Amino acid sequence: MTGVKDVVRRFAVLLAERFPDTQNILSIYAVIVSLIYSWTLITSFYKIPSWLFFLTIGQIFSIYAYSFFINLIESILMLIGILLLEYTIFYPLKKRNEFQSRSILMVVFMLSSSMIRLLLYKSYESSGAFVSGELTWWILTLLLGIFFATIIPKSERLKNVIEGIAERLIILLYVYIPFSILSLIIIIIRNIN
Amino acid sequence: MSQISRRDFLKFAGMTTASVLAARPLNFLDSAGVEGHNIIIILCDSFSAKHLSLYGYPRQTTPNIDAFAERSTVFHNHYSGGNFTTTGTASMLTGMIPWKHRALNLGGLVRSEFIGSNPYTLLGSDYFRFAFSQNPFPDRLIGQYYKDIDRFLPPSAYSLQKDFSPLSVFDNDRVLASIAIEDFLLPIQDSTVAGTALFGYINKNRILTNPRNQKITYRHGIPEVLESWSLISYLNEEIYSGLYSELIHLASKASPYFAYFHLYSPHFPYRPRNDFLKLFRDDGFKPVSKPIHPLASGVDEGSLISLSALYDKQIVQVDDEFGRLIAKLNKDGILENSYLIFTSDHGELFERGFFGHGDEFMYEPVLHIPLIIRAPGQAKRDDIFALTSNIDILPTILSIAGKSPAPDVDGQVLPGLGGQTDEDRLIFSIYAGKNPAFGRLEKAVISMRRREYKLIAYLGYDNFDHVFELYDLEKDPDELDNLVSKDAKTLAAMKDKLFAHLNDANRL
Repeated sequence: MTGVKDVVRRFAVLLAERFPDTQNILSIYAVIVSLIYSWTLITSFYKIPSWLFFLTIGQIFSIYAYSFFINLIESILMLIGILLLEYTIFYPLKKRNEFQSRSILMVVFMLSSSMIRLLLYKSYESSGAFVSGELTWWILTLLLGIFFATIIPKSERLKNVIEGIAERLIILLYVYIPFSILSLIIIIIRNIN
Repeated sequence: MSQISRRDFLKFAGMTTASVLAARPLNFLDSAGVEGHNIIIILCDSFSAKHLSLYGYPRQTTPNIDAFAERSTVFHNHYSGGNFTTTGTASMLTGMIPWKHRALNLGGLVRSEFIGSNPYTLLGSDYFRFAFSQNPFPDRLIGQYYKDIDRFLPPSAYSLQKDFSPLSVFDNDRVLASIAIEDFLLPIQDSTVAGTALFGYINKNRILTNPRNQKITYRHGIPEVLESWSLISYLNEEIYSGLYSELIHLASKASPYFAYFHLYSPHFPYRPRNDFLKLFRDDGFKPVSKPIHPLASGVDEGSLISLSALYDKQIVQVDDEFGRLIAKLNKDGILENSYLIFTSDHGELFERGFFGHGDEFMYEPVLHIPLIIRAPGQAKRDDIFALTSNIDILPTILSIAGKSPAPDVDGQVLPGLGGQTDEDRLIFSIYAGKNPAFGRLEKAVISMRRREYKLIAYLGYDNFDHVFELYDLEKDPDELDNLVSKDAKTLAAMKDKLFAHLNDANRL
């Protein structure tokens, strides 16, 4: 029993030691949110003309409610994933002051990589190519992401630019998060018997 | 006197039970005590009547359907209300002409005031009501009646995609959740990309790697695949055996049942199994060559011929599955108290530089659909040559069930099943995929059949507005001789009737 307690205590210490500053997490989350929500908004613009053919404005708003709700889950999971990287791949890099820019670069690499592939392989005919090239693509993305996330924060100037942009994006959280909570309420109401 | 041991007794009891079951297999299912007839609709998507040997197609594509027809009522001039799934299926379910139900656009919905006009709501709780559509667009249409359905399977049922669907969480808001999630956030492929960058990607990967894995273990050839945005791979034999097991399950219900199966095959992409691929090679059949349509993309004739042959092979495979299903149902007595309706939502076209369905092409192969109805105990074939439409299915179902006719419905009870033949009847089929569902019908292609004539009107297209084609289908079944400049009197009469109806529709 003491052994288990000891392991838990050590784990908690480890978590606390490496756990980043809340303000830093917020700015990383802002980058995730702005990328994920903007993608949804931009892709929805291509759908709106067809929706307007057969859906009312209220129904279109409901579709946005589903979208924002799913974006909320997506962004939280992405943040958890990024935090986990700090305890795994980036564990040897102890410099906590580089955490913010490092994680932002990883977010940008991973999400834009996913977006590019979605854009490249959207047709039914490209399904085979999507699957066959996938492993190579992601290994390259991960390697490049880790490489740049390790190198770029070494430059104080670039680090400041990245962090500066991220901190300015926090303002978007005040828009997207309340909308997502409102969306959740709308979805609950629509799905109650 | 010899003693019977316990073991001998158990053997005897087991054999007796087995022999009784073998003598009357599944007869406990034969609806004794159930008041009212069961109604089963088996709809095969994109099934053109023009490609059935039953309706005179030179290739022997449908021997099993032909055999089924020998004890059924066969409708020879049956039309869909639309030339693609949403409009065609909505017409059948609502019993309304498309300009009234307004499910005009791909993935569109029935106008809210007409949602109550459907077999599920109108048959009521006297019936156990079942729905399964492999095609997600009818699934969405049926989703509008969700509260009146007792068992509603998702499009992935009996497919190779057996994992969790996020849609099942939002059952009470199924239609909008379906548009949001399946059509936008997590589509597999479309003209646009997934609406979520992370989940969209993960979902695409999850589904695309699934058929690849399945292909390795499937010995008959690659699986069929549902090609629209959800990309569900399936095997026809598993779909049909699922259909059979559902019917067995339904037969055990205490009340009569209504079951609608909307099956995807022979819809594109045509992927007949290996054993059907060999068919029709060098059989000498060559479809009639037709001029390229001004609105067509110009697919070359060689491609059209080979695609058409592949489609025929897919039909043979569907026919094979259908034949086995009917044999099993007959053996089990499932059809003794059931009406079985075999039909489609629209046909398929391989001519004039175009293949497939939808778009501005309203020729016979894409509108003329099969309709074969087996009534309980029907012993001989009945042929109906009157013009009928799939808007007649709903009133016919209600008539069979002894229910009152539905208000607002445009269809009529089918002749041969209690309805009358109306020689002067107008049959409309509409393509208005580029016209808003809420506005006036201004951009559309409308086909109107009356007696032997067929008028096609192209309305609202740039450089192709108020263009007409008129055919005498008795003399010219291939629609090659446009009578617009040759028969001004018939053209004027047909146009008057069409615009009178269209103006009425636009006043609604």
